[in-house]
Amino acid sequence: MLALRLARGSHPLVLLRRLLVAAASAGVGFLLLCTLSYASGHPAHSTGAVLRLLWSLVPLAATVQFAVAVARTDPSTRPRSGLSAVGLGPVRLAVLAAVSTAVSCTLGSMVALLFFLHLRGDLTGLPFDGAAAGLLDAEAPLPLAAALVLLALVPVVAATASALALRAEPVSTAAPDNAASKVLTEPEAPPPTAPPAGLPWGVALAAVGLAVEAYMSRGGGHSLLPLPGRLEATPAGVLAGWTLTAVGLAVAGPGLAYLCGRLLQAVRPGAVRLLAGRVLMDESRRIGRPLGVVCAVLTAAVGGYALYGAGAHPLGPLTALGAVLVLGCTTATLLTTALEARQARAQTARALLRLGAPPSALRAATALRAAALLLVFAPLTWLIAELAALPLTV
Amino acid sequence: MVAPPDNDVIWARSLHHSHNGSPALGGISLGVRDGEILAVTGPRGCGKTTLLHCLSGQLVPEQGEVWFNSVPVHTMGPRLRERLRRDRFGWIAPEPQLVPELNTWENTALPLLLRGTPRREAKKVALEWLERLDIGPCARQRPHTLLQGQRQRIAVARALAGAPTVIFADEPTATLHRSDRTHVLRTLTSAARSHGITIVFATHDAEIAALADRTVPLLDGRRVATVALPAGSDTEGRAACSLSV
Repeated sequence: MLALRLARGSHPLVLLRRLLVAAASAGVGFLLLCTLSYASGHPAHSTGAVLRLLWSLVPLAATVQFAVAVARTDPSTRPRSGLSAVGLGPVRLAVLAAVSTAVSCTLGSMVALLFFLHLRGDLTGLPFDGAAAGLLDAEAPLPLAAALVLLALVPVVAATASALALRAEPVSTAAPDNAASKVLTEPEAPPPTAPPAGLPWGVALAAVGLAVEAYMSRGGGHSLLPLPGRLEATPAGVLAGWTLTAVGLAVAGPGLAYLCGRLLQAVRPGAVRLLAGRVLMDESRRIGRPLGVVCAVLTAAVGGYALYGAGAHPLGPLTALGAVLVLGCTTATLLTTALEARQARAQTARALLRLGAPPSALRAATALRAAALLLVFAPLTWLIAELAALPLTV
Repeated sequence: MVAPPDNDVIWARSLHHSHNGSPALGGISLGVRDGEILAVTGPRGCGKTTLLHCLSGQLVPEQGEVWFNSVPVHTMGPRLRERLRRDRFGWIAPEPQLVPELNTWENTALPLLLRGTPRREAKKVALEWLERLDIGPCARQRPHTLLQGQRQRIAVARALAGAPTVIFADEPTATLHRSDRTHVLRTLTSAARSHGITIVFATHDAEIAALADRTVPLLDGRRVATVALPAGSDTEGRAACSLSV
């Protein structure tokens, strides 16, 4: 109940983030229900059904990542002096975060169920009744228990993940609730962590992935995990190579961001460049991982376009939904993480403004950081995407 | 509008301010002379911090005037007030409020760097001040590796490095032990005296207030002659506060 009360009084932007989580969860729930209806409609094609289920794990992972990022930025689940004074410590707050994540994901799952039944034609009385009855195999009955288990998947996984993510947070009991309140014992800034060491591993993984993909794509033909709707199209080796490349990019992300910051503050920096570079170096761990994931997803998107975009087959509606979910969730995670970094540095920004630093200087530092990251990551994404698509298109 | 007396660096007249309706200042007037060390004293919640915010241009009072060197501060736009804070004022908060990503000398040189001073020159000034405040050996360390007293001395060095006209110190020693407290205060006041810097500091400690040339006692947002409350008789005011709990 406390989770709901806190949600009711929160800022519209916070509610919007929660609604986006609900929407993503609805999309994943819909995809999972579609795999279920495919399985019950085509009992003979069990391999195809399993494949669909496996492929819908990718949007599920992206949604869970987004839900965790939103839970971390949610002001109602951060340790606060007001709540800690009444005995809501870090453990209870993690539970609170889990409950509020579960609430928004369950809301999405419910919407997905209603929408699914509506499109199948099981619920009548609205426009587009049974508009997709053919696609969703309306003639086969839907097993209730299986549907409920699949719909509970996103809320349970997301709630567990956000509880685990927030449990590891450092305890700062006396964070000021707002800018006006003057708390003498402000929380100590956590000591900066060591520079991320994943860069060599990430580069190695990405290179191995590209090599595997180039090597395997020579054989061509047989396919282990084809994308549903276009069977026999994606060779397994290519997929393995792509996965390795994606993991490599995600691992290398923090190291690359750290390097960006280091370059930004090198060679006699002024105030703006100094602040931009140092902050990026300290935030590289936080911001680098989702940035790497976004790069990996974009690489896969460019590769997929090179592979299928020119072909005669257009993208199926469910594949398109999955692709939009993955792209949207990873991008939203990146933006939410940037917001989290900004929240974490709000106190320093206030101190700088008190010194008389013009807000334009702080904005310039932020813009400089974004530009540096874009300058490094955009060509890198393009290069890896081209390299990944090369053996498939030639 | 009455022009302020010429020998006052800062001159305020009948300042009124409230935070979202809760009254903070109720008609305070004061003048700060050039090179003077002025202590604003009073218990917590009497409006010391709000007064310092108003005088330093961080807040615009709802009523009343603030003049700095015969220039009205209360009519300035936010951009001009920022510039005034950056170029002419220094601020020391109860917490050091250092930038955790920068090392000690960069933190100290930050006001200069923000003004656009060349890096080499800013570094030289910052290192000189750190040396004078006995934290020269820590110039390359990050704030999180230092002790609270050292950090507060960095904040003092940061305020002094900009060569301001006025330094506002809001309870500069509230979070320190007594030995650190004396050290910080001694360095601050002696540096101010030798460089002709005016200091306005807020404190609730009578011992610290004794270091100042002049004290301005506040109580409930007003200037009073003395902070000590008159000892009321036992029965007086009882009836007005009777509660059934």
